Amino acid sequence: MVDDVATDIDLVRRIKAGDDRAFEEMVRRYNARVYSLAYGVLRNAQDAEEATQDAFLTLYRKIGTFDESRKFFSWFYRVALNSAYSRARRRPSLPTVAIEDHLPKFSADGHFAADVPDWSVGVEDEVAARELAARAGEFIAELPPAYRDVIWMNDVEEMTASEIAGTLEISIPAFKSRLHRARLHVRQRLSEISNPPARAEAAV
Amino acid sequence: MKHDDVTCKKLILDCLLEFEDGTMTVEEHRELQMHFEACPPCMNFLTTYRATGKTLRMLKPTDIPPALAQTVTAFVRARREKEKG
Repeated sequence: MVDDVATDIDLVRRIKAGDDRAFEEMVRRYNARVYSLAYGVLRNAQDAEEATQDAFLTLYRKIGTFDESRKFFSWFYRVALNSAYSRARRRPSLPTVAIEDHLPKFSADGHFAADVPDWSVGVEDEVAARELAARAGEFIAELPPAYRDVIWMNDVEEMTASEIAGTLEISIPAFKSRLHRARLHVRQRLSEISNPPARAEAAV
Repeated sequence: MKHDDVTCKKLILDCLLEFEDGTMTVEEHRELQMHFEACPPCMNFLTTYRATGKTLRMLKPTDIPPALAQTVTAFVRARREKEKG
């Protein structure tokens, strides 16, 4: 069978049988996605590369325990996530914030408690947008892991809801709730650092 | 559910994700759309919520190290050889 049309499960079976070419195909197929996931957790190219190596080594060693009735990708993503975290735990940890700390505030009657400036114009400019994106990465990193993983997989990696819920072994409603809260957090933090045009005019 | 029954708080905290992800019924979506159009703070919130998503999509690492696949394959092969002794 031609490797690049083999299904993941075909490759898993061939790896279990000791087929090196099937393993190479699996690496070719998933190295970029695993690296990207690891980079999200570690924010450092060298660490991400090493975590990618760890993930594939674990894949090779543990493939015998993979239950073929499950989706390979969900299983392997979890392996990759664990490799990244295990490397992250060796470093001094960054402070995390509580998810409640940066949510929008409302008055008792349900209206916004403060102005809601529109800073979205900043995203139209390529350079400003890249700066905002770098800060957004920091605001994801400060989230508790349960929220950080969900927003990274959904909004950066653009994985589907069922892939994410399957990988993290959570329900779809739990996935949605975490995603929304994580987005509210990052939106609020970006608002705090953006300089909205209305405020700039008022300062003149 | 009428749009003027929905507070900004409920809309933003409980309904916004489903308003955006397309899982809401057409009727519900229309009601909430009316709230957004009548409520500048909520509209600004929606605009910046969308801008947040757009910003996050820029974070995806585009520079995968060259020859990463070969590096990984060589690493795993070396570890296997070592373990076999």
